[in-house]
Amino acid sequence: MSPEREPVTLVLDGVEVRAPDGAMLVDAAKGGDVEIPVFCYEPKLGPPVGACRMCLVEVEGIPKLQTACSTPVRDGMVVYTRTDRVIEAQNAMVEFLLVNHPLDCPVCDKGGECPLQDIAMGWGPGRSRMSDPKRHFRKPVALSPLVRIDRERCILCYRCVRFSQEVAEDEQLQLLQRGASSYVGTFDDRPYIAPFQGNIIDLCPVGALTSEAYRFRARPWENEGSGSVCTLCPSQCNVNFTVRDERIQRVLARDNPAVDDGWLCDKGRFGFQMISSEERITEPQVGGSRAGWDGALDAAAERLRGAGGRVAVVVGGSSSNEEGYLARRIVRSLGSPMISTTDGIEAGAVAGLATPGIAAATSDLDRAESILVIGTDPLHSMPILDLRIRKAVRRSNARLVVASERPTALDGGSTESARYAPGQAAAFMAALAAELGEDPAPQGPHAEDAARIAGELRPGSTVVVWGERLAGEAAATEALLRCAEALDASAEGAGLIGVPDGANGRGLREVGCAGSPLPDPEADEFDAILLLGADPLRDFSDGPAWRKALNGARVIAVSMFENESTKLADVVIPAEAYAEKEGTVTHPDGRLQRLRPAVPRPGQVRPVWQVLVELGERVGHETGLGSAAEVLEAIAADVPFLAGLTHEEIGAKGVRWPEREAAKTFPTPPPSAERRITMDRPTKSAARQAGGAEEGLRLGTYRDLWAGEVTERNAALRFLAPTQVIELAPADAERLGIAGGERVTVSSNGTSLSARVAIRARMRPGAAFLIEGTAEEGANLLGGAETVQLTPDGGGG
Amino acid sequence: MSAETRLLFRNIDEPGLAGIDTYRRLGGYRALERATGEIEPGDLLESLEGSGLRGRGGAGFSMGKKSSFLPRGEMEKYLCCNADESEPGTFKDRELMQKNPHQLIEGCVIAALAVGATYAFIFIRGEYWEIADLLDRAVAEAHEAGFAGSDVLGSGCRVEIVVHRGAGAYICGEETALLDSLEGKRGNPRLKPPFPAIQGLYGGPTLINNVETLANLPHIVNNGAEWFTQFGSEQSLGTKVVSVSGCVQRPGNYEIELGIPAREIVYGLAGGPPEGRRVKAWFPGGSSAPVLTEAELDLPYTFEAMAEAGSMLGSGAIIVADETVSIPELALRTARFYQHESCGKCTPCREGTNWTVKMLERVANREATPMDLEIISSVQENIIGNCLCVLGDAMAMPVGSMVAKFRSEFDELLERQAVLAA
Repeated sequence: MSPEREPVTLVLDGVEVRAPDGAMLVDAAKGGDVEIPVFCYEPKLGPPVGACRMCLVEVEGIPKLQTACSTPVRDGMVVYTRTDRVIEAQNAMVEFLLVNHPLDCPVCDKGGECPLQDIAMGWGPGRSRMSDPKRHFRKPVALSPLVRIDRERCILCYRCVRFSQEVAEDEQLQLLQRGASSYVGTFDDRPYIAPFQGNIIDLCPVGALTSEAYRFRARPWENEGSGSVCTLCPSQCNVNFTVRDERIQRVLARDNPAVDDGWLCDKGRFGFQMISSEERITEPQVGGSRAGWDGALDAAAERLRGAGGRVAVVVGGSSSNEEGYLARRIVRSLGSPMISTTDGIEAGAVAGLATPGIAAATSDLDRAESILVIGTDPLHSMPILDLRIRKAVRRSNARLVVASERPTALDGGSTESARYAPGQAAAFMAALAAELGEDPAPQGPHAEDAARIAGELRPGSTVVVWGERLAGEAAATEALLRCAEALDASAEGAGLIGVPDGANGRGLREVGCAGSPLPDPEADEFDAILLLGADPLRDFSDGPAWRKALNGARVIAVSMFENESTKLADVVIPAEAYAEKEGTVTHPDGRLQRLRPAVPRPGQVRPVWQVLVELGERVGHETGLGSAAEVLEAIAADVPFLAGLTHEEIGAKGVRWPEREAAKTFPTPPPSAERRITMDRPTKSAARQAGGAEEGLRLGTYRDLWAGEVTERNAALRFLAPTQVIELAPADAERLGIAGGERVTVSSNGTSLSARVAIRARMRPGAAFLIEGTAEEGANLLGGAETVQLTPDGGGG
Repeated sequence: MSAETRLLFRNIDEPGLAGIDTYRRLGGYRALERATGEIEPGDLLESLEGSGLRGRGGAGFSMGKKSSFLPRGEMEKYLCCNADESEPGTFKDRELMQKNPHQLIEGCVIAALAVGATYAFIFIRGEYWEIADLLDRAVAEAHEAGFAGSDVLGSGCRVEIVVHRGAGAYICGEETALLDSLEGKRGNPRLKPPFPAIQGLYGGPTLINNVETLANLPHIVNNGAEWFTQFGSEQSLGTKVVSVSGCVQRPGNYEIELGIPAREIVYGLAGGPPEGRRVKAWFPGGSSAPVLTEAELDLPYTFEAMAEAGSMLGSGAIIVADETVSIPELALRTARFYQHESCGKCTPCREGTNWTVKMLERVANREATPMDLEIISSVQENIIGNCLCVLGDAMAMPVGSMVAKFRSEFDELLERQAVLAA
């Protein structure tokens, strides 16, 4: 179906209206300023189902009333939406819907923003003739720990069920029983556990599905909405904070089809509670005691200056462009080259892959003939992209191909999928590039998989979603570039989207925050380390080395909460939450978006950009910048391909810099022959490939969606925090005589941690996976080990 | 006394007819031989259209025309035989399948060949488990004998027959709900369009026909469309197996030529109500057809005459109520069935059937007021024509007709009357 359809003219209540051919009447009517009431209709959920019957209209030439949600417009169509017959039917539908509805609006969370209330007032008969007892259910019951369901309020519009079946594809929600006894539930009453379930609360047109975190906290008329962007992951979904009494009460989607399609993951939706947490750091501290701003900034400046260039700055992945930019300027002024972000990717390694000409927009996924997901599992690293890819497969019949170390959530919907061993991404991609290109057919262990996958990809219409962790292997980025060339990634609608580890990984890199590889903490190079919203002890791959490095340096930590890393800092500066922040972030597809403060900062917390400006002054780097907007201006003046950007241009929906004129100034990557990146020192993966095959299983690690501080700091989400699990292929488990669920000690080079065993069918034998960033027993305790040994705990217990 | 006209029922009581040998001895599968041999698939379709055969499942749509809606050309197409016979009062398909399964199988293969379907699914209601077993055996025989399978009688055409047992829901007899159920989903009707002929089972073009409709095909192919048109009336050609039940002396299935007066069926064949009683009301086409009165028994039993009288021939199931039957109780019982079977997908059916039952229960308990009768009638009107499928109408039409035609019986039960009487 082409998006540009010829317009047709229809007559709607006597007025000529133009609408695209094939548009549904209910949408076409909006063009004529006619509202047709709907409950079940929601195009985002797929084709119309025509269940609620609220949108019945009269179409000339058709004897029965028709549902406007499912009737496509035709040229010359004559439609009536307010005839006696239609009004009678609308009255009837409202009356039917209220026959079993409890009408408990005064105590219902939805009251005041309820489509059922609005439609009953606007299109209903105003009274009910029902005098019999209503249907009763036990209520409200927990559909999950996050969502409560009141089945008496439910009007059975199917929206939540369709979301579960056709958008998230978790297929857990079902309509059970039938007729007037129908109700929404799960098989065997099990809790609905799925990462996108919060969306059903937004979708519910009545108060049947309510948020555990919002229930009875506010009435809609007491709330104010405040639009911003969620920076808890690279999806950067557009959100609308509901604020009451200067406190965030909930997070709603602020539909931006170019970014999120109006969906949110549960982390983004329920991750707001930490913002008003009592545990936040609200005062600057030096040596564990209150120091006041001047005291803390002076101390910090003194530590930084005193290090004589032996300074490292670690910029956390959710920092804004402004924060990253200022941090870079400070550290450069101190004469240190060391800046790194959480994802630790060298700018040079990915420069070629970020070239505007081969960049894809998120919405290109909707029309791509094929999609290659490589080296990432969007569900964990960029959840909303998972839904977007599912949509492409379901709605546009895109061929999906997945290649990864670890099984992904998208495998089930893929046409082909392939597994390579941890650390073998480069080899795999080299084989794929050879297969796709003119090169002679590849040989070796990946040849067969590469051929299988390449056969599904359509040059000129493929979007490649790649995990930026691949760039840890220099040869992998080079091979990916060759794949991009062979797939004609510069064609309209095709291209690459890199999924960074950090929420603003791309933006930070583009303002200069990844000029160097991750500092090697072992080298004892640093006398001062500035942690900007980063917790290396938890999040970076080599935990023990970072502990040593932080112990050996003066540490300045800017953080919202105390954590293992801040405990080693002698200057601690409070950080603002993302909902308090003003600034910009850059989406993985190059879209700059604005963060706007929704709530005031608690205690003495100051904006981080301001802290950095003041810190700069104190170390002798005068910037003269006085507002977040001025910092952006400075970025725009400094970074050629962002030239001229302003808050106004970014606006409410953001702007993709690769589509702007200034993108032409993006440095062209060096020609192919010299594209190989020289590394200062071998990266972990390179070392891994060089090292001979040790005994044991090859270890891969991944960031689970729920592993991290956000899960633990938000009461609503706490139940989702994972404990350490080691995943094994069935063959390995059998060989080692280990059963699923068993507890084992995972060890490597004298370090070890404890984990529970999970056996995964789709895994490649010989590999094992651990979760990064768990509260305890995090994978980084093994110090970036390449292979591990397993020992079952407690014999026979 | 009128006689039956037996085409489908011609050898129905022949011992061993369910086996392929007996069926063939009596001329079975000759139509299929003709269809694969001397007749071109295009001509086959034409002859179905020419016969004027109308669907025997309830809607009475032209079978040939429906077949012609399927797109031509190479693609995965399907035939579904609707053997979910669930309409109260209907038990004709049961006898047709139980006693003569090969007639249905032959019809299925002919229809599949006519439209180019490679798979024919017989969706049979789960309660007919014995018949399903019997069909399985018959299908195996047909496959073995080459009448079905990868190469039907050496024609190069493939028609695989699969018997699928339903799980017991009236709604699965609705053609699109049947498709969902067959696909392994909850049996709920789909929005139309797209019609199954364009996008049906697994998204492919699908022809869905009732058992009796398909059982007609071997006879049409054997004798020609022209021959078929000699039976019945102008718009209702052929014969019809009528299931007669209720207050009659000889309930059962009777195959009649369409167009004979209904009275001949009810009185002539089924023996009428027990001695000394009179017919009060009768459903001409299953419990979803609006009831007719005694006087209307003289109408010719055809699709058009029943429609003109405000009812329908439906599945051809005549249910007779005599003077001993309380119409308000009959209405309640009818409504309860549809309330129980409503799938719940669309608002008017789900809520309307449920509400109607509650109101009729109050009528039966003498707790209703005159206003309630107005509401009952109005609710039926609000249901009719506004639902996703016809299940809601299937309750609203007969209940509405009962309130309208037998209002005095309802009035007698009203609260005020009860109070006055006391």
